[in-house]
Amino acid sequence: MTDTTANRSAGQETLGAYVPHHPIRDALTGSVASIAFTFIVVIAVGLLWVGPRFLSLGNVSIIGTFLVVPLIVGACSGFALLAGVVDLSIGSIVGISSAMFALFLSMGWNIWLAAGVTLLACLLFGGINALAIVRFGADPIAATLGMLTALRGITWVLVGNQRMIPAFDLNWFSIVTMPVLGLPLFFLIAIGLTLAAALVVTKTRLGRHVQAVGGDARAAARAGISVNRVRTFALLLSALGAGIGGIIYEGQLGSAAGATGFGLEFQVYAALMIGGYSILRGGVGNPIGGALGLLAVAGVTNILDLQAISPYYVNIIVGLLLLAAVLLDRLRGGDAYE
Amino acid sequence: MSLDRTMESAPAATPPKLRLGDWGTGLTLVAVWLLLIAATGLYRPDFLSHQTLLAVAFTMSVVGVLAIGMGIISISGGFIDLSQPAGLILASLVAVRLSEAGVPFALVILGSVLTGMVWGAFNAAIVVLAKINPVIVTLATNFIGLAVLYLVFQLAQVPNGSEIYNFGRARLLEVPLLWWPMLLLVIVVGYLMRSTRYGRHAVAVGGNRAAAQARGISLKKTRFATFTAAGGFVGFAAVLFASAAGPFNPSSANTLQLNVIAAVILAGISLAGGRGNFWMLLLSVGFLSTIPTALVFYGLSSDTQSIFQGILLIIAVAIDGYRARRSMQT
Repeated sequence: MTDTTANRSAGQETLGAYVPHHPIRDALTGSVASIAFTFIVVIAVGLLWVGPRFLSLGNVSIIGTFLVVPLIVGACSGFALLAGVVDLSIGSIVGISSAMFALFLSMGWNIWLAAGVTLLACLLFGGINALAIVRFGADPIAATLGMLTALRGITWVLVGNQRMIPAFDLNWFSIVTMPVLGLPLFFLIAIGLTLAAALVVTKTRLGRHVQAVGGDARAAARAGISVNRVRTFALLLSALGAGIGGIIYEGQLGSAAGATGFGLEFQVYAALMIGGYSILRGGVGNPIGGALGLLAVAGVTNILDLQAISPYYVNIIVGLLLLAAVLLDRLRGGDAYE
Repeated sequence: MSLDRTMESAPAATPPKLRLGDWGTGLTLVAVWLLLIAATGLYRPDFLSHQTLLAVAFTMSVVGVLAIGMGIISISGGFIDLSQPAGLILASLVAVRLSEAGVPFALVILGSVLTGMVWGAFNAAIVVLAKINPVIVTLATNFIGLAVLYLVFQLAQVPNGSEIYNFGRARLLEVPLLWWPMLLLVIVVGYLMRSTRYGRHAVAVGGNRAAAQARGISLKKTRFATFTAAGGFVGFAAVLFASAAGPFNPSSANTLQLNVIAAVILAGISLAGGRGNFWMLLLSVGFLSTIPTALVFYGLSSDTQSIFQGILLIIAVAIDGYRARRSMQT
């Protein structure tokens, strides 16, 4: 008896910051809690500074339309982050998917065929990422940075000298911009997708495998999980999500430009990191936290927009929030650097 | 005393294998580079001209000096410095403002280099004090830095006819004058990293933190030293950049970033740290700087340049990863 208590206290000592599991405290101190707090602060600032029109249906619709693609892309590439393989090429995949889809439409292709071929191409790009990272052990940041550059180049070549491909499909445009209960349908779909992703991450075997691989690849392998297969899946899903995002962008804009999706990866990952993900360490983060991060950043952007303040301040605020979020994650027990 | 000796000799325990890797990397780079030059030259004989040499040497200068800074960060275990664009533009702005005020050229260089060092030390301070990974720190500071710079200026340029302006357009022995300081710096830094205690400490920290620390090397001091030194190179690159770039805005340096990272990886300087030879930078930077000029001769638009760069980078990191995996197994 005394033996076991001695063992337990010794165990606690070696764990260092050991805190007993406690549902209420977890809910108040976890990563989702701090982003939820940030999100509430953003809404409060919006209400106080801008006034009630900040939460009016019209303004929320504007934010929602703007967020459709980042939310879908974020929910999918969040799986890659969770599995410990960051995919920086998502912005360029959005761009090339948009350009390919517009090109096919302008060639008179059926919309389903155009979308299908575009998504297959995006899966191929994700597959190349997976080949370099999973098969050859390339560093994910550098390899997908290469993919980002190459695909952006191909996109510029595709759009040609006009620098854009106009391809307006009325049906697709009206579906993408259709309002339901005053909010854009696709915004609601994106929120639904986020919740579905959260369910997959927390409640299914697949989600637990992804987290295990990202948290400790060796331990996961020893537990019989195929690390390579999980990471390949995550990278393919990330590319697929970006491909879908590109097709939706094309619908929203009625055209594709060479710069479509440029810098989206930084916008999305900064928000996801503020929401509790890490681009360097897998196994942490949750799709709901990530979505709240995107909502909070979009809220800040919207507030500054409405107050006619230089958009550069958004980047300053996002940068500071990012550092604060990472610092908070570290204080909560995340890996310290050196 | 004996402790000192072990510190000096220990990191050198692995070189025989590294040397072999260096030769492999070097020969591959020379072969690919010559292949590119020969193929383009056969297709378009006018490619082999003085004009091409000028263009290539010109591109090499800024990228080469930035690559030294990036290499120092990578080899010492800081992975990559994503804040180079902001640092470069900040130091360039200082160079422009100083030369506008009529300050002598030597002081312009000093001001620029010091600005770069302060920027590096600022990044190091966040890395060390907050214990946050350098990749995230530099991602955020680049974000913030460029935004602040946009609030400060939209377009800047060194005054026509000033000393720094003439420096950017001068030639020495048929190549731009800018090329020579780059060459000198790569050679000197390559020697310093390999043959001095400070250089070997930085490499040792990159190779194995715990072992380096056990030998009494301070990680914090190394981090400060490497980031400040790397910032100094960014500051000097800014002098070259500002002297020759013409009017620039805060985004003007963004396209350089990828070239610099690709140059470091192709040179065999491991992103994981602890391995690499800075002299190889001359070959990788030279090869990468030849690509844009060659593409023009093939009649390809400048858009295709990034396709080649991107594919090259993927192949290079795949090889880097494959090598690292193999060396871990043996």
